[in-house]
Amino acid sequence: MTPDKRLTRTWLVLLALTLGGGFLGESHYGGIVLAVAAALLVAVKSRLVIVHFLELNQAHPRIRRVVGTYFAAMPALMVLTALAGPQIVRWTSLGG
Amino acid sequence: MNATLTLPHPPSPPADASVARIPGNKGIWVGIFCELTEFGLMFLVYFIARAHHPEAFSAGAARLSLAAGTANTVFMLSSSYAIARALSAIRRDEQRACLRWLGAALVLGLGYPVVKFFEVQWNIAQGIDGSAGIFFTTYYYLTFNHLVHVSWGILGLLWVMARTRMGAYSAADYQGLEALGCYWHATDLIWLAIFPLFYVLH
Repeated sequence: MTPDKRLTRTWLVLLALTLGGGFLGESHYGGIVLAVAAALLVAVKSRLVIVHFLELNQAHPRIRRVVGTYFAAMPALMVLTALAGPQIVRWTSLGG
Repeated sequence: MNATLTLPHPPSPPADASVARIPGNKGIWVGIFCELTEFGLMFLVYFIARAHHPEAFSAGAARLSLAAGTANTVFMLSSSYAIARALSAIRRDEQRACLRWLGAALVLGLGYPVVKFFEVQWNIAQGIDGSAGIFFTTYYYLTFNHLVHVSWGILGLLWVMARTRMGAYSAADYQGLEALGCYWHATDLIWLAIFPLFYVLH
């Protein structure tokens, strides 16, 4: 597959996943199910952009690690907030 | 008396030069890391506010325009794709094709502020301004900040288009074009994270 064809295929997959995200926003799902599904979409979409558009697979390891960790942490925080909201409130409240 | 002069060994080149490659240039990565830090702090504020006010965040998404958020995601991704194609064209030394793809990236990128303008008009008509509650305060703060970064990117695109038109880039040297591409993709990535936080999670 040529690099241009690979880029086009990645773009089409990203558009399809975006429409999937729109469907999730309209769905009756909520809570942890919605958070996990939305987080998975963010993880997959950001990975596709990082690998195919930013081409970080061939980049300096420090850049690759920082960007990769950042966009793995984002979906993880989405799920964590849905799972452990009260715990986060305790950690981030001043006084008792 | 014998004196021995020893010179330090020159640093060895990396075993695999491609592994240590910095896309674009170092300067743009300093800027991108600053952008990631700035948004990282705002994302933390979002998650903490969401944990403290789950009802406000649960109800807030339904009041925003999902169509506007989805349209902006399509514009950002498509503009990013066009820049990736521009980079691919310049690597083949095809300046005219590169310029055409940059033009496409600009038009698609301009779709973002246009949609944002109508979205804000629509919000205000629904009584949704920055004082409408914690969800909308974080929404305006994060999305307006993102709009500022998109605006820098659009200015950068215009600059890179002018340089391409002047023949400044070729298959042998396209560092400036690649640097702008990196910034634009990073700004796209930030939007991919913002989109579900305000338009999808309810």
